[in-house]
Amino acid sequence: MCGLAGRIIKQPGLIGADLVTLMQAQAHRGSDSTGFALYGESRQNGYVVRAVSSDRSLLDHDLDALRQTLQAHDSDFIEDPTWDHTAQPHVSVRLVISDLEIQPWLAAADALARMEIQSVGRSLEIVKDLGISEEVAAKHNIVKFVGTHGIANARMATESRVSPTASHPFWARPFPDIAIVHNGQLTNYFGLKARLQRQGYTFLTENDSELIAVWLSDQLFRGLTLEEALESSVRELDGVFTYIISTPAQIGMAKDRWAIKPLTVFSNGREMVTATEEQAVRKLYTDEVRITNLDGPGYSTTWDVLPAAGG
Amino acid sequence: MGSKDMTNRVEIAAGDRPVKEINRDIRSQVQAGKPIVVTNTMSRHNLGVGLPASADILFEGSVGYYCGGLNDGARIHVTRDCGWGVGEAMATGDITIDGYAGMSVGASMRGGTIHVKGDAGPRCGVAMKGGDIIVEGTIGYLSGFMAHAGRIIALGGANDAAADSLWGGEVWVAGPIGSLGVDSKIIEPAPTEVASVEKLLAQRGLDGPGRDWQKIVSAQRLWHFESRDARAWLMI
Repeated sequence: MCGLAGRIIKQPGLIGADLVTLMQAQAHRGSDSTGFALYGESRQNGYVVRAVSSDRSLLDHDLDALRQTLQAHDSDFIEDPTWDHTAQPHVSVRLVISDLEIQPWLAAADALARMEIQSVGRSLEIVKDLGISEEVAAKHNIVKFVGTHGIANARMATESRVSPTASHPFWARPFPDIAIVHNGQLTNYFGLKARLQRQGYTFLTENDSELIAVWLSDQLFRGLTLEEALESSVRELDGVFTYIISTPAQIGMAKDRWAIKPLTVFSNGREMVTATEEQAVRKLYTDEVRITNLDGPGYSTTWDVLPAAGG
Repeated sequence: MGSKDMTNRVEIAAGDRPVKEINRDIRSQVQAGKPIVVTNTMSRHNLGVGLPASADILFEGSVGYYCGGLNDGARIHVTRDCGWGVGEAMATGDITIDGYAGMSVGASMRGGTIHVKGDAGPRCGVAMKGGDIIVEGTIGYLSGFMAHAGRIIALGGANDAAADSLWGGEVWVAGPIGSLGVDSKIIEPAPTEVASVEKLLAQRGLDGPGRDWQKIVSAQRLWHFESRDARAWLMI
């Protein structure tokens, strides 16, 4: 079933805290995993990399191996890596690296054992882990994250395994700063995935939602606007779906022609909140604001992220 | 119709309280014979589910999923919007929604009346088996989907796939129809049937002269599936 959320605030602030509130209100929609795609201050150069390694005891070795792949592509760490300090076997790592060509490096990084790259961006950071919003937020300190916008997902796994990597949001590999969250199931997954793989795209998971991220980014890469790509997805993707996509400048959504998976929104032109369930939106706006149900069918729309005040 | 009159209504605040606790409070006030107003509804789910015949309850604000579900005779009034499945599986009773009524209004209902003053979302009256749904605005995509009996009456029109896969029952539309769903057809209603619909509307203060009714019923081709009819099932 899954629960989705998206949030834009009018100036940089505690975007993580708002998304945690939205997801905690929808924790009953999926407790397998919870994830956040957060947009912090945009870097002029270099990328923030979020990754997960499956074996904490080998982290030093695995970070060395990852660093070697960077150095082989004329890049390096420009800040010391940080990671969560829990006793769980898997470990979530945050890196800041100097500029590089993402796709060739990613091919080398993907060949490493245990280490999986979850996002690369000037401002995007994807943090996703097992459990409900409260647990993931506490472990990764989401409520302290400062930024302008973000999207989130609570997952009830239907189509692929339960793991941090198979959780949402999905990064649009290899395009920096684009992420999606999805509620539904695609039925033409294998055909579209094979076509994208023939074009050279790679996938980390067997999750149909990862396909949406890569498929949409390919459309953007071909020159479509986000609005055009979203409209096109309603025709080209088959199945039941409502998904939210985020870029540095916009958040967008699309819904299939069967009009099954709900999404509600409140927007006043300066800030926006969207969530699968209206009751989650009311956690942020308690004064009975007018919330719209995007009940479709075959519907898509976008919301702009405002430039930071004075920025 | 539930009255909006606040005098003598016992107030129950919903807020963040567990829904079981809210519904327990509602039931105990119903047993005490008191009309109720629920405030701070916050679009919460499952409010007022399984209410008995004597209940008279006003929800001041928007409610979430399944409000008034399994209703067995209560009068329910929602002053703003509701989420999907309002009045689901209602046996009898009366539900009024002043705003937008979300998806799957009156799903599987068997009797009673639901009156929506705004629009209704997709699959209004899905699998309904009796009763009446009156919508002053438009009914959404796939209205009456697989309904067996009962009437859906839309004054403002119907969106695409109206009366899709209807087994039985009737969808009455006094306004434009986006498109008909599979295996449905428009027929000329009998004067007695029109009089019955107009009488029901007049009881709700919706008497209007000279409505141009389009009555949609099942074309009955799909009552008995044959493989040569397969294309009729496909909307693709």
